[in-house]
Amino acid sequence: MPGLCVVTAMRTISRAGVFCTLLLAAVAAFPTLGEDVASVGADGVRMNAQVRVVVDQAYSVHQLSSPSGTIVREFVSPGGTVFGLSWQGPFTPDLRQLLGTHFDEYVQASQSDQGHIAHMVHVESGDLVVESAGHMRFSVGRAYLRSKMPSGVTADALR
Amino acid sequence: MRSVSLREVEVVASLVLAALLSTCGGSNGSSSPSSSSPSGNNVQTVVVNGGPTGNYTNGVFTNVTLCVPGSSSCQTVNNVLVDTGSFGLRILASALTLSLPQQNDASGNPVVECAQFVLSTMWGPVRTADVKLGGEVAGSIPIEIVGDPGFSTVPAGCSNHGPPQQTQAALGTNGILGIGLFINDCGGACSVAGAGNPGFYYACAGSGCQIIAQPTSNQVKNPVAAFSGDNNGTLLQLPTVSASTSSVSGSLIFGIGTQSNNTLGSAKVFTVNGAGNLTATFHSNSYPSFLDSGSNAYFFLSSSASGIPACSTQASGFYCPSSPVNVSATNRGANGTNNAVNFTIDNAATLFANSGENVLPSLGGPNAGSFDWGLPFFFGRNVFTAIETRNTPVGTGPYWAY
Repeated sequence: MPGLCVVTAMRTISRAGVFCTLLLAAVAAFPTLGEDVASVGADGVRMNAQVRVVVDQAYSVHQLSSPSGTIVREFVSPGGTVFGLSWQGPFTPDLRQLLGTHFDEYVQASQSDQGHIAHMVHVESGDLVVESAGHMRFSVGRAYLRSKMPSGVTADALR
Repeated sequence: MRSVSLREVEVVASLVLAALLSTCGGSNGSSSPSSSSPSGNNVQTVVVNGGPTGNYTNGVFTNVTLCVPGSSSCQTVNNVLVDTGSFGLRILASALTLSLPQQNDASGNPVVECAQFVLSTMWGPVRTADVKLGGEVAGSIPIEIVGDPGFSTVPAGCSNHGPPQQTQAALGTNGILGIGLFINDCGGACSVAGAGNPGFYYACAGSGCQIIAQPTSNQVKNPVAAFSGDNNGTLLQLPTVSASTSSVSGSLIFGIGTQSNNTLGSAKVFTVNGAGNLTATFHSNSYPSFLDSGSNAYFFLSSSASGIPACSTQASGFYCPSSPVNVSATNRGANGTNNAVNFTIDNAATLFANSGENVLPSLGGPNAGSFDWGLPFFFGRNVFTAIETRNTPVGTGPYWAY
């Protein structure tokens, strides 16, 4: 896990916990929702991204800024599982990559027929919660797996 | 600071004019719509109802006339959604019988668009049309034809951003009239090649479709910006809706301060940041905020932050308080203008239960990351959308005013 090596080397103590910054000029990749952070290399989304890793007591945050300007944050449990992610920027990221095996579940849940046609922001399907909002040229959203949230962490932290 | 001085002069002039109009007309100075229907070459009638499928919630629809450029070969498409949250005209292929010229790239291959909305994508060829709204004409502009059977295979690179919605049954409309703050639907990001291109535009040859760099001049664009006059923005004027109902009508008026029927009056101007957003503050927390006539409801906060219970599976994605809840949040423009917005959220499951009522002013749902002022916000307000780079009596767009 290259991120953690750098975290160890560069860590500085601050009031809010241990913050570490990792800047990569080269190709970076990141894992998908529900998967282990160690599976980074196999997943294949490659962005010429700037990566920042913030480690707190309950979880760590991997922040990537894509070339088209959208910032993606991935929330990783102490056990190494990506339990949540959020994004904000001009364009919606590749949701199939971010949601992984949960993408199809999201699509199906987002099109559920309630008798009225009303496109909601907040979509739930069992363990999965996805929120995608914004307007053309601005996208903001988050996704998480309720069962994977570390103890004491609420969804309101995923911003 | 000459430009600032000029702007101040314009503001003062505008205020004086508003005061004069107020005195003459006996208006109370509010920015709520007048009771009489406006008329003129810049007025387009709109209606809020269930749309072509009869079950669309809080959608504002209008007719759009398309013509083969420079000809009298035209077709009027009804039930097109008026959307201040997007830019450009998109028409379902299934609603179109008119044959419009295809836009090709430099290699002569047809240009096809993957329009990315926050919840879905729309895939289809870019064609050129004269677009007529009221008495205004946008001559020979690129539009998107959605779900064209000649381009039926949606590339994975498109559908990975969201499920394609290509039919009237899925969309609940015959098209989308995007009249928001910006001129082009993607902008500069799509005009360059490489990893930063978000993939709105493709060229499709026999071997498949590849993302291309699309100059902004060729991008699908806000028709209002292409009018010969009244092209600096719009005024969407809908009546107050005090309770759920089946239909209300209103007006989409083109231009801001260009005619007597589109003066700003007492409306407050809120300039936006680079992303086209205001800031909404609720209980000391701030969120990106925007006015989107294409959103079906007020979408704001998480259930835990708002304190409003979310619905169960029956109306999942909406709020279901046991009794109506009054909410207040403050919009702030980049120019510092503040406005407290007070609104009421009722039980969505109860609201949805009456199938004859599709105009639901108290419909809301959770959205933890932003304040989406959907169509209910527009009821009882004059909402002005000033287009980027265009001059208006109080300054240059983009801005919202209400």
